[in-house]
Amino acid sequence: MAFISPAMVLFIMFVGGPLLVAIGLAFFKWDLLTPAEFAGTNNFERLFTDATLRRVLLNTFVFAFASVVTHVGIGMLLALAVNRQMNKFVQYWVRTAFFFPFLVSWAAVALLWKYVLDPSFGIFSHYLGRLGIEAPSWLLDPDWAMASIIGVDWWHTIGYTFVILLAGLQTVPRSLHEAAMVDGAGPVRRFWSVTLPCMSPTLFFAMVITFIGAFQIFDPMFIMTKGGPGDTTRSIVMYTYQQAFQAFDVGYGAAVAIVVFLVIMLVTLLQFRLSRKWVHE
Amino acid sequence: MSRKTAQGLASTTVMAVAIASLAACGGATDDGATTDGGKTTLTFAYMGSAEQQEMYNKLFAEFESENPDIDLEAQAVAVNNWAEFFNKISTQIAGGQVPDIIQVATEGQRMFASKGLLAPLDDYIAADQDVIDEYYADIDPNLIEWNAQYSSPDGKTYYLPGDFNTMAMWCNTELFDQAGVTLPARGEDWSWDEFEAAAQAVKETTGAYAYAADTGYFIGVMPWVLTNGGSSFSEDWSTPTFDTPEVVEAATFVRSLVEQELAPVPGGTFDQYTAFAQDKLACFGGGRWPVINIRNLDAIEKTQIVSWPVNSGNGSPVGWNGYPIMKESENKDAAWTFIKFLISEGGSSFYAELGGQAGPARRSVAESESYLANSPVGTEILYDALTYATPIPSPDRGAEVQAVIEDAWQQILVGNTSPEEGAAAAQAALVPLLAE
Repeated sequence: MAFISPAMVLFIMFVGGPLLVAIGLAFFKWDLLTPAEFAGTNNFERLFTDATLRRVLLNTFVFAFASVVTHVGIGMLLALAVNRQMNKFVQYWVRTAFFFPFLVSWAAVALLWKYVLDPSFGIFSHYLGRLGIEAPSWLLDPDWAMASIIGVDWWHTIGYTFVILLAGLQTVPRSLHEAAMVDGAGPVRRFWSVTLPCMSPTLFFAMVITFIGAFQIFDPMFIMTKGGPGDTTRSIVMYTYQQAFQAFDVGYGAAVAIVVFLVIMLVTLLQFRLSRKWVHE
Repeated sequence: MSRKTAQGLASTTVMAVAIASLAACGGATDDGATTDGGKTTLTFAYMGSAEQQEMYNKLFAEFESENPDIDLEAQAVAVNNWAEFFNKISTQIAGGQVPDIIQVATEGQRMFASKGLLAPLDDYIAADQDVIDEYYADIDPNLIEWNAQYSSPDGKTYYLPGDFNTMAMWCNTELFDQAGVTLPARGEDWSWDEFEAAAQAVKETTGAYAYAADTGYFIGVMPWVLTNGGSSFSEDWSTPTFDTPEVVEAATFVRSLVEQELAPVPGGTFDQYTAFAQDKLACFGGGRWPVINIRNLDAIEKTQIVSWPVNSGNGSPVGWNGYPIMKESENKDAAWTFIKFLISEGGSSFYAELGGQAGPARRSVAESESYLANSPVGTEILYDALTYATPIPSPDRGAEVQAVIEDAWQQILVGNTSPEEGAAAAQAALVPLLAE
């Protein structure tokens, strides 16, 4: 017990305690400045009638789904491309290049891309213009803002998924590939019958971790679009923050935070349940 | 963007709010009320970027030298706008760290007072009536009237009207000279049409952008709406009026400036101060605060402040600072001493000379040599604007109201929505915010 007590103290202070407090706060109306008033289940009832909440939930699901598909799908292709006999220098350079953006903080990445995507001065619009393509105003265009953020998020975090998948790929035993080759299997067949089944636990991990991260997305929206234009890029965590600290409705903010917690828990349970059908033990 | 964004505040980390205390004073006290070796420690929270802190620190040092028994512990909160400032201060108060005095702009005065956190100043005012009378005799009567009308929810006095900002155009005289356009002098007006023609002339002859179309509520929305005889809210701030023809016409006009590429598309990364200093921008809107940046960029000489172009009549938003004493403060007397220092002729002119992020409320200081030195030609116009300005409408749910208006304005200016539809959508979003 003595060994784990420091960890327990930290857990209670920063994780377990705040979680309980958040659940408790959801039953109150509190504006930070005047004493909290007990509100019963008002905040929870409001969850079902709040049209903005439905919109931000949809936004966040779209973002998370796109994030999982692009990270795991393209990450897998990149890992396959790098995981072969090639010049060591090129191999390390490619790996480092993909991983590098992940080391930069979200704030810096978001500001950098705000410059790149600027409708008047951004290099994206400039070069598309030279090709005769009239670029949209990216982050300022309701039809393009979310897609732009999905793209920036991919650029920023693909390195992490890529490294996980590459590590998984390198654990696939060569002997299985050789045995399949002896049996006459071509590269495509070997990918489906050897690589993919052996990779399934890694893929599963990558999908779960990417979804959990994506569902909590906040920084790029907050910095690049402030949730706009309109509500088109407002994520649920951003909405939680805005309810608690801009609308000064801490109780409702806590109720929305509980929704985030429940969604992540349910989707992760669902993923575990489905994994029985496809993840190779 | 909002009023303070234009000050070039370092906004990079966004969520991170830097709290710097004066180097000499060590860490903040827990209860905000201590005496140390016979000295009273007074805590004061204000809004200030790194550049402004440097300037304020000189002001605070002056106060401490005049009042050796008070140790002023100032916390600069580096944020983008008043909404963020109030978030930060509210969170700090909720966490039990209550400063003795805070800086509160018009945008939050009534809301803050209505929470019951402030100590009424009426007894202090009565005790120092001669000081207040002398101060009030030297400031524009409109400031006194507006402060009484808008900053108190219950008739008690929680704030004295302090330094203020109105809006005017900061113009690059070199670009206007090249374009052969004569800028209106103090007391003269220019119409929207004249402004547009001047903007086109500047663009044609120099290739520079004419105007930095800002989408900030104070800085980019209200000046156009008010010079067209409209407003965002009714006079008592109880009813939104954002779908009126005056607002729609104002938005249509500014959108046309963006459409003609006389202004860059707002919401991007255009740096107006640098562009202005490099002769790539002819005008931007501002109050007193740009003076620090323009001085740093060595561009005072080529800058002239001109009143805002008018369509139906002169107009400008106005916001002023108040310095309330918190009810929980145990150092109320020392806090009052600090307030008196801020409004005193000495404190006010010292602050004004340093640059300041708002203009002095005292007319004698606003017209003084020391204030006007190293300031653009036409600086007096910012004080003149008090005669026709309108207090920035600031209902209690200010942060949300501001976000709705700024998002709508941006979407209209970018061209995502028509001015009519954008204004109507904003109105529809504002009504429920005011209903509760």
